[in-house]
Order: sequence, then structure tokens, then C-alpha cells
Amino acid sequence: MIKKPRAFFRGIRIAGHKSPTDRMPAERLSAIPEVIIPLAQSIGAPAKPVVEVGQAVRRGQCIAEAAGIVSANVHASIAGTVAAIGPRPDGRGGQTDCIVITPADVQEEAFLPSLSEPSAEEILARIAACGIVGMGGAGFPTHVKLAPPVPVDTLILNGSECEPYLTCDDVLMQARKNEVLRGAKYLAKALNASNILIAIEQNKPDDIAAFADSDIDVVPLKKQYPMGAEKQLIYCCTGRKVPLGKLPAHAGVIVQNVATAVAVCEAVEQGKPLIERIVTVTGGGIRQPKNLICPVGTPLSVLAEACGGEQDAVKLVEGGPMTGCALTGTEAVVTKTTGGFLFLTAQETNTDEATPCINCGRCADACPMKLMPMQTEFYTNAKEYENAEKYGGVLACIECGVCSYVCPARRPLAQAIKTAKAELRRKS
Amino acid sequence: MRILSSAPHIRTRRTTKNIMLDVLIALLPAVAASIVYFGWQAAVTILISLAAAVLTEFVWYLVEHKVWRNAKETVFAWAAQFDYTSLVTGLLLALCLPANVAGWYLPLLGSLFAVGIVKMLFGGTGKNIVNPAIAGRVFLFISFTVMANYATFYPAANFDPIGKTSLSELMTGATSLTSGLKDGAMLSNLDLFLGTGVAGCLGETCKVALLVGYLYLCVRGVIKWYLPLLYIGVTGLFAVALEGFDFSFFLPSILSGGLILGACFMATDYVTTPKSKLGNIIYFIVLGLLTAGLRKATGIEVVSFCILLMNFLVFLIDIAIRPRPFGYVRKKKEAKE
Repeated sequence: MIKKPRAFFRGIRIAGHKSPTDRMPAERLSAIPEVIIPLAQSIGAPAKPVVEVGQAVRRGQCIAEAAGIVSANVHASIAGTVAAIGPRPDGRGGQTDCIVITPADVQEEAFLPSLSEPSAEEILARIAACGIVGMGGAGFPTHVKLAPPVPVDTLILNGSECEPYLTCDDVLMQARKNEVLRGAKYLAKALNASNILIAIEQNKPDDIAAFADSDIDVVPLKKQYPMGAEKQLIYCCTGRKVPLGKLPAHAGVIVQNVATAVAVCEAVEQGKPLIERIVTVTGGGIRQPKNLICPVGTPLSVLAEACGGEQDAVKLVEGGPMTGCALTGTEAVVTKTTGGFLFLTAQETNTDEATPCINCGRCADACPMKLMPMQTEFYTNAKEYENAEKYGGVLACIECGVCSYVCPARRPLAQAIKTAKAELRRKS
Repeated sequence: MRILSSAPHIRTRRTTKNIMLDVLIALLPAVAASIVYFGWQAAVTILISLAAAVLTEFVWYLVEHKVWRNAKETVFAWAAQFDYTSLVTGLLLALCLPANVAGWYLPLLGSLFAVGIVKMLFGGTGKNIVNPAIAGRVFLFISFTVMANYATFYPAANFDPIGKTSLSELMTGATSLTSGLKDGAMLSNLDLFLGTGVAGCLGETCKVALLVGYLYLCVRGVIKWYLPLLYIGVTGLFAVALEGFDFSFFLPSILSGGLILGACFMATDYVTTPKSKLGNIIYFIVLGLLTAGLRKATGIEVVSFCILLMNFLVFLIDIAIRPRPFGYVRKKKEAKE
């Protein structure tokens, strides 16, 4: 059934740039020389390694265990030998602890037994054991999210994919509709939620039509950025507003990405941990844009090679162009949360110098949280962070990047808000 | 080496420069109308004003960036950062001056004051407290008596005032404002709308040209369509209310004087309007009330004075209005003990 959506306030329309890859089924990547699996792939504490250098591991074997409640297990994404455990460059200018595995000739699997007719507790335990985290980008451990402090009645599957360029969720929904649906059932059962909605932006009419036949409700969302942001999505699907400073659960809703639903389905039915995902490699700076199914830990250099190599790319981005992180080079690896890698040309990315603010108010008009980014930036530049919060609003920011996108003076507004947020958090 | 920066990595194509270019394009119909109505003197006035505005900014930049150290590079740097704002200021100033080549020093001094003192002295683009063109006009208005009586001497040259208005009747107002209001038969509303036979400044007489520019600005998303309408509407309605709810005053009061020019192009200047939507609505409503009230009280055209006055209040409006984020919950007042 198709439900009628709402539009949220403000927001912007951005050109999609999805056409190079949105009709391209995901290809499986083969022949990977080594995988470099970071221990910190989710929000919270990095996992603790439970294997030693030289040890043989099978595909799907747990190689690092969750440390603390908000943390997730990490599994071997290929069968092979642990070559090293230690810090590796993370492609963002820093270093992060990783487990390096070189592949064996025979790929043996070590999946968990499959569950039939699982109870809510069994599903939750399985999700935790399989190290599933939110695959939309933020990477919140799913088993923590599925244990909300207050009861919820609605599960929303987020298939909006409002970020330009990325098509990983789109091709996933095209190819694996049934897994998405079954995963949603398991998630809803774990949550004891009675309503299941799937939210898809109207720029993916095929997916909307496909899911309209199923027994869960489809919400065809208006093409508006940031539609996939949790609070905006909840408002558009249910009309509920998440109170400031509260969790979506306080509005009675849990949002999960469609890719997470597929991972949950695989974890329950096949016992397969979260060890691979679809990654979109695209942008004007890559010769053959593709959607690739790759094991977690695949270096970007391998992906770039599989896509014909780069061409005039001046900027590398992990994730979408609006919220992604710029990379220093191709040493970055695929993690559980990587939706895509972008190779942007000078023409696509904008490197203009900032000019003075002309107070046009476009940032405030576009802000989906109704903040005043120009005020925040003004006070942040003066290092008056309390005033930035008072007159501009800082802590409510969802960091969608809309303000910087629309600024005709090219001012780094989103960056200023992030700075102010970090300073305010540090002080409190 | 890769380019590293914080997200987002893509930007809109809109820049300050092309917004200003849009404003200039939107003013072209008014420029054309002024040349048709007032003849070659209008063109000369506009050119003097534009040249003076750009030259002032140019010289200021050269001195500020110590041109004597590296002349060539400084000039190129100026060209690279030039964002057309001084052209907009120069053009707007010219459009609220009379067509009079004998007073050639008026646009020159006005632009010098507007760009040099009002804009550059306060830090350049985006830093001025009041609208430079408005401040330039007010500066000329209070410095040169000829400005006060320009309507007397410079009616639209190519059209005879309809109804053979005598000079003494026109003397009563800075523009056709009061004379039009006094005797409805002298100028019809259509005359006011088209600007035929109406005395006034270069740009303000032909309302059709201004409205074409207004529509262009709205279509291009430069200004919000409702703000000028709010200003014009409130002015008209309050004027009607002040005349004892005589609705025959509505059209003359919105069509006469510089109201439409001021509402569409000057009051909407980004730098000197509040930042928030609510702030803008308050600003334009108060502006409308002030304009109608002061017009009634003084009997002269006060649009530029009202905008100047309100510009000073923008900061207060901005700090009074706090953002209410999406999902904001009003804090419950603590129970009184």
C-alpha cells in the first residue's frame, strides 16, 4: 500500500547525479590482495582483538569482540591468515587500529547456525553476535538501537537515499526486495513494533512500485534534501516530531536503513555476520562508475582499480558529497558504514574562496532544523560559543551540510557549527 | 595532494556575484524607462553615478592593499574580488536622483559618499549598517536644497503633465505624492502607474518597469516575493486608515513617490534587513506603518528616510528573535512558590 507523505519544512533540492550507477546491478569484487579491517567501525568503543598474528581465520569468524555496551563485534571478511594487528593510516590523516588478513586459497566459512521462528531475544542476541551496525552512515550498533528506553510502535525502513551520487541502497532494494522485507519483519519482532513503513524518495519509482505490492506500507517521499535524516524522515512518514534532545524512540519510532534490514535477514537466516556491503564508486573522476559488493576492509585502491582507475579527480570523499569525509588518499578502506567513495573533479567540487557574508538568509531558509547558521558562524569566528548557541542554534544541528551548500558567499557554515558543537561539548 | 575540506563537498552554483548581476538585470527596465521618459540627461546621470561608485571602490581597494608595493597584482586581485555590489549601489542611487546634467556633481558626490563612507569605511560588502544607496540619497537630500524641489523642475520631460498642472501645485510635494493625493483629477492612477507626466526621480516614475524587475527578482529567487508586497500593502492600507478609511487613497499612495522602487529594490537589500523570516516580516510591516505615518505627518516623500531609520533597528530585531529548532518544546514555567 502506498501512503501519502508529508514534506518537511525548508530543505533544498539538489541534482541527483545518480544516473551513472542507478541501473547497474552490484558486482562482486574478486581477487583482493589483503583486507585491512578497522576495529572501530561504529559509534562507541573500538572492538578488542581476539585473534593473534599468524592465526588462520575463516570467513565470518569473530576476530574482535565488542568492548562495552555501545560497541560491535568485528568479523573476518575473508578466510586467510592474520598478517598484522596494529595502527594503519585511515585515509583521513590519522591512524586507526586494524587487523590485516591475507586471503587463503580455499575460502572456508564460519557462519552461525540459522534460526527458524526466532524470538525477540534470539534476534537481538544474533544481531549483537553478528556485529550489525546502522549501515546508513552513522554506524550506531543495531542491537543497542533495538533496545530503546521507551516502547515504540513504528519501524521505518530508510530507503530514501537523499545524498546525491550514492546508489548503494537503490540497487540493494532493486535486487533484494524479499530480504529487505524479511529483515524488516525480524526487526519489528525484536522491537515489538506493529507498524512497518518503508520510505523511498520519488526519484526511485521502480522501487516504490516493487514495494507497493508487498504487505508493508510504502511512503513515496518528495525529493528533498535531507529527507533521509532521521528527524525529518520520521516527520514525513508519521507526522510526529522528535522532541529536541530526545531520541526518535521518544516519538515512538525507530529508523533503520534498508541495508541494515538485509544484514539482519542474513544474520538470522544464514548466520552470516556483517562482513560485506554494497559500495557505490562514482563521481566524474573515475573512469567506470560501479556498484560493488566488497568485503569489509577492502582498500580503496582495489576498488579504484576495479572501476578502471581515476581520472582528473582532485578530491576523494568517503560517503555522500553532503556529509561525507574528505580522504587524503586511496589507503582508506571499506567499513560497515561506507555507502560509497566519490572521485570528484575540480568542476564538481567547489573550491572557491569564501567571500563576506551578505546576510541573504539562504542558509536559514534551507536549514531543516530551522537554525540560523549565519549567526552561529559569526559568533563562532569570534569564539563566543555560548552566543552561537543562543542566537544561531548549535546543539540541534544534524550536520546535513545544507547551509554551506546554499551559501552564495561560499562560507564554511557547517564547519563552523561543528566547531562550536565540539567546543560546547568539551566545556560541558 | 588531494583537496581536504569539511563536508559538504558540493556547492550551489549561485554566488554573490551572480545575485548582484541579477539585481542589475532587474533594474534594466527601470533604466530604459528613465531614458525614455527623461531623455539623454538620465543616461548621463546614471553613467556618472556608476563610474563614481566603481572608482571609489577601486581606489579604496588599491589604497587598502598598498598598491604602491605591487601595482599589477593588486589591480588583478581587485578585478577577481569585484562582486558588482558597487554597481548596484551606483545604479540605485542614480535611479533616485533627478535627471539634471547641470547638477552632475550630485551623482558623483552621492556615489562617493555611498560607497566610500557608508560601505567601504565599515568594512566593504556585507558589513555596512545602512543601505549605501539610501544613505547616499539622504546625504544629497539634506546637503543640497535643489534636491528638495526637484519635482518642480524636472517633470518627465517627454510627457506633458496631464491636466496642465501648474508649477505651484507641484511645488507642494517632493514628488507627485501630495499633489496627486490632493486632487485626484490632476493625475489618474494609470498615469501614476505608467509614470506619464509624473514628476519624480529617474527610476521611480515608471512603476511598470519596476514591477517587471520585481517579477524577475522573484523568479530568480533573489528576493522573497511577499516582502515588497507586504511593505506596499501595509503602507497603502495604513494611509487609507489615516484618511478615515477612504479607499480612494489606496492606489495613489502606493503608486506615487518612490515606494515601489524602495520596496522592491532598496528595502530588500540583504545586508540591511533582518536575518530571520519572522524578523523580516516585522521589519517590513513596521516600515510600511512608518512610511504611511510619516508621509501623512510631513507631506513629503519619506520612503528613503524610513528605510534608513529602520536599517538601524535591524540589529535589535535580530537579537530579539531566537531560533526555534525543529522539534522545539516550550519549557514549562516553574511552578510559583
